[in-house]
Amino acid sequence: MSGGISSTKVTPEMTAIVGKTMRESISHPVTVSDIRKWAIAVYYPQDPPPLFWDENYAKTTKYGGIVAPEEFNPFAWATEKPSITEPKVAQTAFSEHELGVEPPEYSAMLLTEIRESYSATRICPGDVIRSTVRISDYFEREGRMGHMLYATLSNEWRNQNDEWIRTTESVFVRY
Amino acid sequence: MGTTIKVSVGDKLPLFVRDGTVEHWNRFAAVNNEFAAHHWDPDIAKAEGFPAPFCMAPLQLAFFHAMLRDWLGEGGRIISVTAKLKGPFFKGQTLTGLACVTGINVINGEKHADLDLSQIDETDRTIAIGKAQVALSDN
Repeated sequence: MSGGISSTKVTPEMTAIVGKTMRESISHPVTVSDIRKWAIAVYYPQDPPPLFWDENYAKTTKYGGIVAPEEFNPFAWATEKPSITEPKVAQTAFSEHELGVEPPEYSAMLLTEIRESYSATRICPGDVIRSTVRISDYFEREGRMGHMLYATLSNEWRNQNDEWIRTTESVFVRY
Repeated sequence: MGTTIKVSVGDKLPLFVRDGTVEHWNRFAAVNNEFAAHHWDPDIAKAEGFPAPFCMAPLQLAFFHAMLRDWLGEGGRIISVTAKLKGPFFKGQTLTGLACVTGINVINGEKHADLDLSQIDETDRTIAIGKAQVALSDN
């Protein structure tokens, strides 16, 4: 957990929540329009590949229809859970408070690294995606800003058939 | 469909180039519900210590994906992408995405390629670095 440091900011309570579900979200069914808009926004000012917007073309591909780009985010706006009337929880930034644990004191938190992994199963129109977020590990080191506490947030997505779609690991540093 | 593209270690992918414009970033803000003012308001960006508005990290990550897809075509697929953000991509700059094949392996009968990724600005300042693994066929 620690490398080259004399003390740790990782409390036993923090260690105990590693691997526990911090938050769970469920998307509304993905629409073709959602996918088209995402692809247009990413590829602007060029046209996106027709797989992401042309239904007639997409039917001729191995997918049999439009699929979403791997990085597509179905949780950006309203979700089935939490509903639009519930307090919005940021998808990336986090706090141990969400699991009832006091976080360490720090003056800054930065996202330093993103690791995405994907299955061969793509997100398609009609899919409902479930996101489960956990803290997967802590590690510490001394850096330019002093004692650096790193936490990896793991966000696993599965579709309505419980097929694994994607896992995003976001590494945050606090100092 | 189902064809394996010919790849060798050392191959370089076609460059992926985008200008840093609010017209682009606003479109991404709209689909990703990402409206932090430092991405579009010069005064806010300056107040936070940046010389100009800068691109969202998820869009920079999407650029890596788009570059890989442009190269792979529909016959391949992205298995993983990692990215470390080294510095902001500011409005008015030009981002160039680069990638180089560093390894080729066959895993469970499927041909995989490992790649080093980077994004630089027009002064060759590194904006992001990363790695990717892709499948080259649809076995």
